[in-house]
Parts: sequence; C-alpha cells; structure tokens
Amino acid sequence: MTPVDLQELTAMALEEIARADSLERLDEVRLRYLGRRDGLVTLAGQRLRELAPEQRAAFGQEFNRASGQLRSALETRQRQLAAGEEEQREDGEWVDMSHPFRSPEQGHSHPVAGLIREIEDIFAFLGYQSVAGPELEDDQHNFQLLNMPPEHPARDSHDTFYLSPPAGGWLYRTHTSPVQMRAMLASPPPLRIIVPGKVARRDNPDPTHTPVFHQVEGLCVDRGVTLGDLKGTLEYVIRALFGRERRVRLRASFFPYTEPSLEADVACAVCQGAGCRTCLQKGWIEILGSGMVHPAVLRNGGVDPETHSGFAFGMGPDRIAVLRYGLSDLRDLYENDLRLLECF
Amino acid sequence: MRVSHEWLGEMVELEGVEPAQVAELLTLSGTEVEKVTAYGLGLDRVLVGEVVGLRRVEGSDHLFLANVAVPGQEPREVICGADNLFLGALVPWARPGTRLPIGLEIGRKRLRGIWSEGMLCAPDELGLGSDHDGVLILSPDDAEAGMPLDRLYPADHLYELEVLSNRADCLSHWGVARELAALLSRPLRDPETSRPTRSASGPALRVNVASSTDCPVYLAEVLTGIRNVPAPAFVRRRLAAIGQRSLGGIVDLANYVMFEIGQPLHTFDLNRLPAPEQELEVGVRRGRHGESISCLDGVRRELDPETLVITVGDAPQAVAGLIGGEASAVGADTAQVLLEAANFNWARLRSTSRRLRLRTEASGRFERQLSPHLARVGADRFIHLAVRHLGATLGPRAEGGAPLTPAAAIRCDPRRISAILGMELSPVAVAGPLRRLQFEVREEGAEMLVTPSPYRTDVATAVDLAEEVGRIIGYQEVPGTLPPLRQAPPLEALAEPVARLTSTTCRAAGFSEAVSLSLVSSERDGLAPRLIGDLAHLELANPLSAQLGSLRQGLLQGLLQSAHHNQARGQDRVCLFEQGAAFWARGQERPEEPWMLALLDLADDTAEDGAARLRHLMALIASLSSAGGGGAVEFRPVAWPALHRARAAEVWAGSQLRGIVGEVARPVADAFDVRGRVEVAELRLDGWLKPGGRPGQAPPLPRTPALVLDLSVTVPIRALLGPGLQAIRALGLPELELVTPIDEYLGDQLGPGVKGWTLRLRLRHPERTLTTSEGDAARQAILRVLEREVGARAR
Ligand SMILES: [Zn+2]
Repeated sequence: MTPVDLQELTAMALEEIARADSLERLDEVRLRYLGRRDGLVTLAGQRLRELAPEQRAAFGQEFNRASGQLRSALETRQRQLAAGEEEQREDGEWVDMSHPFRSPEQGHSHPVAGLIREIEDIFAFLGYQSVAGPELEDDQHNFQLLNMPPEHPARDSHDTFYLSPPAGGWLYRTHTSPVQMRAMLASPPPLRIIVPGKVARRDNPDPTHTPVFHQVEGLCVDRGVTLGDLKGTLEYVIRALFGRERRVRLRASFFPYTEPSLEADVACAVCQGAGCRTCLQKGWIEILGSGMVHPAVLRNGGVDPETHSGFAFGMGPDRIAVLRYGLSDLRDLYENDLRLLECF
Repeated sequence: MRVSHEWLGEMVELEGVEPAQVAELLTLSGTEVEKVTAYGLGLDRVLVGEVVGLRRVEGSDHLFLANVAVPGQEPREVICGADNLFLGALVPWARPGTRLPIGLEIGRKRLRGIWSEGMLCAPDELGLGSDHDGVLILSPDDAEAGMPLDRLYPADHLYELEVLSNRADCLSHWGVARELAALLSRPLRDPETSRPTRSASGPALRVNVASSTDCPVYLAEVLTGIRNVPAPAFVRRRLAAIGQRSLGGIVDLANYVMFEIGQPLHTFDLNRLPAPEQELEVGVRRGRHGESISCLDGVRRELDPETLVITVGDAPQAVAGLIGGEASAVGADTAQVLLEAANFNWARLRSTSRRLRLRTEASGRFERQLSPHLARVGADRFIHLAVRHLGATLGPRAEGGAPLTPAAAIRCDPRRISAILGMELSPVAVAGPLRRLQFEVREEGAEMLVTPSPYRTDVATAVDLAEEVGRIIGYQEVPGTLPPLRQAPPLEALAEPVARLTSTTCRAAGFSEAVSLSLVSSERDGLAPRLIGDLAHLELANPLSAQLGSLRQGLLQGLLQSAHHNQARGQDRVCLFEQGAAFWARGQERPEEPWMLALLDLADDTAEDGAARLRHLMALIASLSSAGGGGAVEFRPVAWPALHRARAAEVWAGSQLRGIVGEVARPVADAFDVRGRVEVAELRLDGWLKPGGRPGQAPPLPRTPALVLDLSVTVPIRALLGPGLQAIRALGLPELELVTPIDEYLGDQLGPGVKGWTLRLRLRHPERTLTTSEGDAARQAILRVLEREVGARAR
C-alpha cells in the first residue's frame, strides 16, 4: 500500500460517513475503517512495518493525517445524527403551546383584602404595626372618649347600628378610631399603628354605600410629632398607593377627635382634574380624613398633651379599590363574584 | 349653602379674583365649594320689552302672538308658548342674532305663517336658576322697556358650599366674606347698620326667658308704620340667585339678613298677636303636654316639655328657632311687626328638630352652635333695611336671656403653634392670619393673648389657633416630613389575627378570597353549618331590614350565598374562603368575637369526586395548622347539624376543638339554592394559629441511610385510618421516622366488606444501617397493632 491507496481509502470512508443516516450505520462505518482489530485504515497502519525505513516517516505522517480526518468526520456526523434523533423524539412529544393554560390550583385575592395587605406593607416600611380591635364597641370608646359627647353634631354622619337587649350596651363601631384609644390605653408612647378592619353605618346599600365597609386607621404618637410629619407621611403613602405622578392636596376639615383636621384628595384619574362624573365634577377625589390628635383625646388615652403629640388618619380601602380598579358599584365588592376575584 | 359672588363682593373686594380662585381658596381652607355656576352671564344682549299687544295664534291652542316694544322702535311680533303674559308686562326679550348664556342661538323663525322676531325668555333660559314655569315677568319698580337685562341681573357666580359642622359662622355671606378677607389679605367691609331714633309709639314690651341655658339671648323689637311693599330689587335679585322665593318685603328682608349675617330672624304681625292688657309679654319656655300650635306650613304640631316655644301672653306663637305660628304670620297688610333675634341652645334644637322631623334654614344654623353675639347684628341690620326700604319706625324694645360674655382670650406661645404645624413661623407670621380673621392679638412678652372673633364658636384653645394659622397660610406651605423613627414595642394586646398567613395558604391551595357583610338574616345563618350551634343571635336594635338584621355567628352562610351567586352565573366550580370576626352573644357581657376561617368547595360531581375534594380541603386544614404553628390536627368523625351524616368531622388540635369539616347536607344546600356537592370547613383561628407560626426546633439529621418499607393490609370497609395511625405512633418504635398512607383501594380480589391500605414506613437508626430483619420486625409489630386496633390482616 502506498500513500495514494490510503488516500483513496480515506475518500471512500468519508463518503460512507456522509451517507450514514443513523447512529447505528455510522457505527458500522467506524468499525469498518477504524475498528481496533480489522478496520481497513487500522490494517493499513499495520503495514508501516513492511515499509523501507526511508518511506516510513512519510507514510506515518500520511496515516496520522488520514485517521485524524476520519475521526473528526465521524465525530461531526455523530453529533449531527444525535441532534437529529433528539429532534425527532421531541417532535413526537408535541404540545400545543398556544393553549391558554391557567392553573386551576391558584386562588385569588379579594380586591379590598389585597389592598389592605398592600397598605400594611407600605406602613410596615415606615415602622407601623398592624393591630386589631373589637368590631362591637360601647358608646364610650366609639364616641365619648373621641370627643363626641351625646348630641354632638358630628354624630350625624355616624348613623349607628345598636344591638338589641340584653346586649343593648353595644354598638357596631362606626369607625376604626376606637382602636386608637385602646392602643393608647394599652401602651405608652411612642406608638405607631395601623388598624384595618370592618365598620358599619346605617346606610341603605346603593352604588356608593354598603352598610358594612372597611377602614384603615393610623396613629402615630411621640414627642414632637408635627402636622408636617402627618403631611409627609400621607404624601408618602398616597404616592405609594396611587403612583408618584398623582397630584395630592390637603384640605382643612373638621373632626371632633383631631385639631387641626385635614382631608386628603387625589386628582381624579378619569378626568385628570378637569371634572367628570366619577369625581362629581370636582376634579379631586377625597380619600382620607386625618389630623393632629386632639389634646382631649390624648388625655383620654392617658397621654400628656404637654409632652407628646400625634397624628391620626382614616382611609376607606373600599373606595380606594373602586377608584383603582374602575368598579362602578361598591356592592360588587361583597358579592364575591369569581369573575371579579379572578382579576386579583 | 349657596352664596353669590356679587353679594360677597359687597363685603370683600373681589376685583381681579376669578370665581375658580375663590372656590379653591375656600375649599382648601375648609369650606368646600362643591360647584360653581354662572348666573346671569351675558344678559347685556337681552333687552326688557313691553308687551303692547297679545292674541292667540290662530289654529294653535297654546301659542300666543305678542307685540313687544322698546322705546323708539316699532313693536315686533314674537310667538310665545307661555301663558303668563299680559298686556303691559315687562319681559326679557332676546332678539334675533342674540346668543343666550345657555348657548341658545336666537334667530328669526317662521311659525304657522308668522315671522317670530326672537324669544321671550323664562328664567332658566337666561341662566337664572331652573324655573321654567313661564316667561320671567319683571317688576315695573325695577325695570323699564329698552333697558338691557344685566342692569337688573348683573353677571354673577354662585358657589355651592359644604360648610363644616362646627362652622355655623360660614352659613352666611358675611362669614364667608370674613374667610375670604383673611385668605386674600383684603379688608372686610361690614354690612351697613344704623340705630335710628326710637319713637315712643307701640305697646310696652317685656321678654321673659325661663331658662338662659335654653335661650341665651332674646331680642325683641317693635317696628311700626311699615308698608309691606316688595323688597328692593337688589334684595329680591340676590335672594332669587341663591334660590329663595320672594315672599313680600318684610319676610324677604328677614331672609336676606339671615343669608347675609347668618342670624335667623322671625317677624310676628303685631296686630295678629293676642292683644296685651298692659304690656306685651313675650315668653320663651318649654312646651306643655296637651299644647299644640298650627305652624306656617299648615301643620299642627303637638308640644311637649322637651320643646322650646315662644309665647305671647303665655299662648304659643312659634316653635323656637324652628318655625313660626300660622296665626301671627306676616301678611300683605302687615303694618307693625315684632322682630325676634334670638339664640337657642343647639342641643335642644337638634333634638326638637329630630323629634318633629322638621329642619329649617333657621334650625340648621342654631343646631351648629351659632354665636349669640350675632343676634344684635342681625336685629340692627334688619332695622336698618326696614327703615330705609319699608318706611318702618322703630318702637319699643326688650331683651331676655343672660348677659353676653365676651369671647375669652387664649394665651398661646407662637413657638407652640410652629411646633404643632411643623414649620418655622415668626410671631408676626402667626399674628397676621389671626388678625386677618378679625381676631384680636396682643403680644405679652414671648406669648400672645388672642381673642377670637365673637362670631366664631369653634375657637377656644391654642391648638384651635394653630389650625386657624395653618389653614389661612395654606397647608400647601407646610413642609412634608417624616417623624423620627423611635422604637415602639409591639402591642401584644391588640395583635393582629393570622389574616395574612391564612390568606396566603388558602390561595395557594386554590381557594379565592371572599369578603361578606357581617350582617345576616338570623334565619339563614341558623341554617348554615357553623361551629357554634344553639346560641341566640345578636340582633340589631335598628336594622335596615330583616335580611341584615343580625350579626353572623359563622361565616358559612355568606360563602353559601356567594356559591349560589357564582353558580347562577355559570361557574361550575366555586372554591372560596373567608376570614373575619363572628359574633357570639354572652348576655349583657361584651359579645365574643372569634376570628373565623370558612372554606367552601362546590362542584356538581360524583360522590367519589366530592370525597376527593373533601380530602383536599382536609389536607389544607392540616397544612394551615402546620404553617401557623398549630401542631398536628386530628379529624374525628362526628354527626354535625347541617352536614352530611357520613361526611363530617371535628377538627382537633391538641386537646382543643378548633373547627368542623364536611359535606353540606343536601337539604341545606337546597335551602341556599346550590346544586351539587358543597365541601366546607369552619375553623376558629384565634388562640390556635400564630401569624408567624411557632419557632421550630431543628431535629437531628442523621447521615445513616433510611430503610423504606411498604405495608399492605386489608381492613373492614369502614375501618378508620386516623385511630390506626395513632395506634402506630403510640407504639413508640424508636426507628420509625415516618408513616404515610399511600393508597386506599377496593377490589373484587379483596372480597366483599373489606378494603386495602398501603402504608409506607420510613425507618432509620441514628448510628448504623438497619438490617432487613430489623425492618421486618418493625413491620410485624405494626401489623399486630393494626390487627388489634382496626381488624387488619396482612396481604
Ligand atoms: Zn373626574
């Protein structure tokens, strides 16, 4: 055999490698040419000994080149064939990836409950603990300790559900503010709490009223707390809830348990402040009431108004949910229609 | 309350101030402007015309043809549909080419063969309120043909105000002007008053106030020689602008003063009061049982000792501060009046108004704690106007009540006000807004002595002054800051329930979060399965309806209602949970408010599929307990009201009953109009689960291999797995790490009345590998226990 024969052999082998159409075939080709014992190229290599010493070096080089070329061709073809076979296997396991799969196993949040959790998270960041208080209260905690004696005009807006005897001494709280009092009585300042919970007022159900609804109360009592602190806190929270761009304004107001008292409005998202049906042509939507805790209320809570001050606020997550999610009827929040819940 | 820009402008200079700016200033300072409406804009283009001819349009039953004239021009023909025209009437005439303020373009129109030259206008067409009853008829006292209408109705804007409940002073133009003067830093011009000389004519007068608590001030003034002619045009125009009808000169002036100064006045026709024997004695006292009075609105009202009445010669003439009596009402022929300017106790008026179900402009003001100092101003203003415009002469006067106490001065440190507001304010910056509000400020060293305006009843302390300064400067000027964060210990006593953990766990298990009203019908609530049974419901004393008349004892009735709602809207699977307070009565004691969780899984499926859903629910309860640190739960089969008799269990954790779980009995599902199988649970979470779970203790984690074995047995078909597993655990095998049921099966090859269980056992020794024979020994021990406890046999 001469180097020329070896070249021919190699050419034949390369052609067969190219023609092999399965890994099995390719393996047969490999054995035929490079088989350890009787591969044709292997055998050719063994002829080296028969050659004259001066021919050996050239043949050896030729042999190494040929077998190297074959090995790499085999490897390349093998990779090609293996990939092809994996493709075929995967093709056989076809899935309609356009199918709108939905996990039936994941439940959804209630819009208001979810919003309350969001509000809790925002306040947790500012160091507020979320606490709870009873939903049934006495007149003392719901009104009197909050600077609303019997016949106080501010009670007008708190149309109250009273319980029948023998539980006649109890009422359904009309706001979460009594928990302010409970918190002050339970612990000396500093206090930083929010109180999400249900309240009730005697309003017939209609698109903008439900007799039971939610409030989130907040209270911060410490040395040297200012109205500026209230303003900064509300602005932070409202921006966190409604977005950085949303305009906020504070308006003087009146609540018996705060002095000074403020209400916060956000610009109406529907009309951007121009006035529309959603905002009753005002351009602004009222979202919370707040103020500096009235000295009399601090005193009722065992806090000395000479050394300490505080602010309090109350917001309505039901209304905020209606605004944020574009609901048209507050009552929808209490129907638990899955078509609505599934959006949250 | 509605106020007029033009009227306010008489008391504070509003030149160059746009209505939108007024609205914003008032709103931000606490008097919310709900609406601004233009009134009488563009009326310079409408002329006053005189009707000089009038006839029906032929062939029409409702159209009239009027000949309308203005001086120096030929009369024109105008067709009109209103039937209140008459010859000589002065009417607003919009000629062709006029554009009315409401946007209407007036043209020459041909109707029934006649060219109509424009339009005779009703008030609403001119933007003068909503009246559309007929053409606006102008009084010849004010109007003359040819004059442009804006001479009678100058352009104005009306503000609809929402006045805060502690600001009775803002229920008047004067009060609102006082605010604007402070907000705009412009001077306040008080309405003109004068004290004309008193003539001796008229009866002697005495006022007798029974209690100065009920009535701190009562001023009575006699005015004689009155001509009850229409009030001057500006009075009628302003009253009309704010929506008040004209009721004759005397009543109009009294109303005008109320809307201007804020002091309600009442005028009695002196000649219609019981004739005095010697002197006219006006009394203010409580009503008596059996007394009654016929009121101005034609209604006869019973009096009682809770009601305050005005009497003359002891006969009731008015319900104090609320409504006058019919008998002494002012009429067209009234020539002498007894004027009342008084102040009545706000709480008394509130309760009277509520009891009589009557609210008037007067009572609405008294109820909000009107300043008693206003009575004098109101009386003087009325006298001034009545003398000038109705020709009145001032007669005798008398007064009752307690001497007026001047407003008390408030001592305050301007630094305290800075500290409350959180902004640096110099003493001058503090005093400025207060002075602009007509407060008197005297500096005393570092402190200030501030006397609020006598017309403000809401300012008594230093924090009240801080609010005044803040709102007049404007809260937009206060820099927003965050309070320094100081350590506040957690409030254990009011710790929040496990709401968040529960919600996350239930949602992860495929249940959606529901929220229901806590008010229910006790009947429906009683039907639903609930953890507490046989307990009377807490009832509302003043419910809106029976459907919302009681407090819920459990949460499942709400979920069953929601299940029905969803099923009726085409949902075939409904998985919901709700958590919240339930309410359990304890007699007179504070009711108990357990924090409950209810779960519901509804589908119209087979008994077998229902059982699978029930098992899923029970698995969720177990994982919830483990997440909330509630320990291992145990389900004890039980018969429970409203649940399936063979599919109900109590949920126990430790030695406590924590809830119930099961399938709703079919009649109960029927009662809630729900089809299919409803798997439910109700659990009481407080006292059981903790928001963060309980801190765990890491077990040893030996590196030795586990020996995992399966044990298959047959047991009687109704054998209970729970007690079986408990018995295995009670065996206390030290190497038994875990036993898990992995299969339960029925089959022909097992024979009748039996079923198969396969349990997987995981055994491990902490130090060495267990041998097969040790495994077999454990398996044998367990088998023996199961034989004894549940009648198992090896398979
Ligand atoms: Zn809007």
